[in-house]
Amino acid sequence: MVLQVKKACKNFGGLSALSDVSFSINQGEIFGLIGPNGAGKTTMFNLITSMFTPTSGEIIFNEDNINGLKPHLITKKGICRTFQNIRLFPQMTAEENVMVGEHCRSKSGVFSSVFRTKSQRQEEERIRSKANELLEFVGLGGFAETVSDSLAYGQQRRLEIARALASSPKLLLLDEPAAGMNETETSELFRLIKRIQEQGITVLLIEHDMPLVMKLCDRIAVLNFGKKIAEGTPAEIQNNPDVIEAYLGSEEEDMYA
Amino acid sequence: MLAELINPYYLQVASFILINIILGVSIYITLSTGQLSLANAGFMGIGAYTSALLTLNFDLPIIVGIMAGTLLAGVFGILIGIPTLRLQGVYLAIVTLGFGEVIRVIFVNWESMTKGAVGLSGIPHMGRELLNTVKDLGFDPKVLGLQNNQFVFLAIFLILLAVTVSIIAFFRRQNRSRVGRAFAAIKLDEKAAESMGINITYYKVLAFAQGAMVAGFAGALFAHVLAYISPADFAYHRAVEILIFAVFGGSEVIWGPVFGALFLTVMPEVLRFISEYRYMIYGLIIIIMMAVRPQGLIDVNILNWVKLKTSKRRQKHGTSSQKSM
Repeated sequence: MVLQVKKACKNFGGLSALSDVSFSINQGEIFGLIGPNGAGKTTMFNLITSMFTPTSGEIIFNEDNINGLKPHLITKKGICRTFQNIRLFPQMTAEENVMVGEHCRSKSGVFSSVFRTKSQRQEEERIRSKANELLEFVGLGGFAETVSDSLAYGQQRRLEIARALASSPKLLLLDEPAAGMNETETSELFRLIKRIQEQGITVLLIEHDMPLVMKLCDRIAVLNFGKKIAEGTPAEIQNNPDVIEAYLGSEEEDMYA
Repeated sequence: MLAELINPYYLQVASFILINIILGVSIYITLSTGQLSLANAGFMGIGAYTSALLTLNFDLPIIVGIMAGTLLAGVFGILIGIPTLRLQGVYLAIVTLGFGEVIRVIFVNWESMTKGAVGLSGIPHMGRELLNTVKDLGFDPKVLGLQNNQFVFLAIFLILLAVTVSIIAFFRRQNRSRVGRAFAAIKLDEKAAESMGINITYYKVLAFAQGAMVAGFAGALFAHVLAYISPADFAYHRAVEILIFAVFGGSEVIWGPVFGALFLTVMPEVLRFISEYRYMIYGLIIIIMMAVRPQGLIDVNILNWVKLKTSKRRQKHGTSSQKSM
């Protein structure tokens, strides 16, 4: 078990964004988190990465309780994420963006940087070549020197994945990676996520593109109004009446669905 | 012949340009993590008073005083940097401006120590001390054809030049390293930087302390170049002046505030009649720059353009020593 979420609750004032959500993710699988807008999926990501602390409940990563740990330490432990609304460092080049991702796997400080010690130069060289490998890996081989702001939308999404991979995560959280992508880009993304899985990295995926989720995920959990309403294989989820109702509404209630 | 070229007045102006460049660098460092600190005039004052008092009261060598002033300013930088971590943008600016005023008020009112608004005079002068040392060693500036005061101002200028170049080199190297990338990441998107494993608390306080140390260092140099300081030297006007270096020159690249400090120190000297209106002009500059060119005169694009031009010229002249970066 890589990640266990136990009865996680998150309230914002009187509003309960998540209540008693539990699930666990096995080593090496692609786990999907789906649900209608506002169901609490991104809030779940923010709890796992410690952007928010849970109101109650536990989040356990590789046997360690990671509740309340500072976000940068979560990354160091091996959880890294991408963002729903792309958050690259806009004025940096693609290469620099990925190099920032390697921050927690490198250590040179002010003095070794200023005096260019041997270990600092070697480390910098290592970071740079790994960054370029990762750019190659996500299909941005020729764009190392391009300022990330001027990359195409789909490329920016893949660059964000490369940046997250640079922190050598054991668990990768992808927040709607296919949003705004066309069909070709989506199928490229599908292969990319599969290749990430082949590297032994566990993936937790939030996605609205149902065909992609159903093809890609080993298991899926469905959230609605902050509660988990189903969990299972794609086939089970597709036939679950609660899920169908959550997505399409029940017949009496909404005839336009 | 050398003697005629060396005009103490020009050297004096050049020395103040260099001190202002160091101050420009100090605000640039904190800005490179996206924090706007207006406390640098206060830190400058701490550096200046610390060094001046140590050398006046305890007869310490100037260099020890300068180091103590720099370090104490750095300590205050950490003390201010930690509680203000949660403040962003204009709120941070207000608090740091307030801190600068508090420091000034302390200098004015702690009369037993600082002689209040009258200020400290008779601070050991860097150039003259050096002249005495050199003379004790049996060297006479006349050998070089220099008069004593020419030697004094030339020595100050050269020391400051070396120091300024070292500081700029220091931060240019830091910028192009893991630390510099962390600074830039925090400036561009704090939340994303944190998610990428950057300890933002550490780097923001580091930048704050570095900025404070550089400002304190500039202050200590100022004290020993001028030999006279008073609280008015580190007041609100100074804070605005330092800010203007970054606003006018730009704060994206280190050359921005360097250029800003250079230009804005030379201008009132060259155009004497302007100097009376300088604060009006500063106000105008802020408004115009914010409206027309918020990133300042020197930004990455300008720098790349200059690099392109100079590399082309180099190729034309046949020297193919094109080193990367």
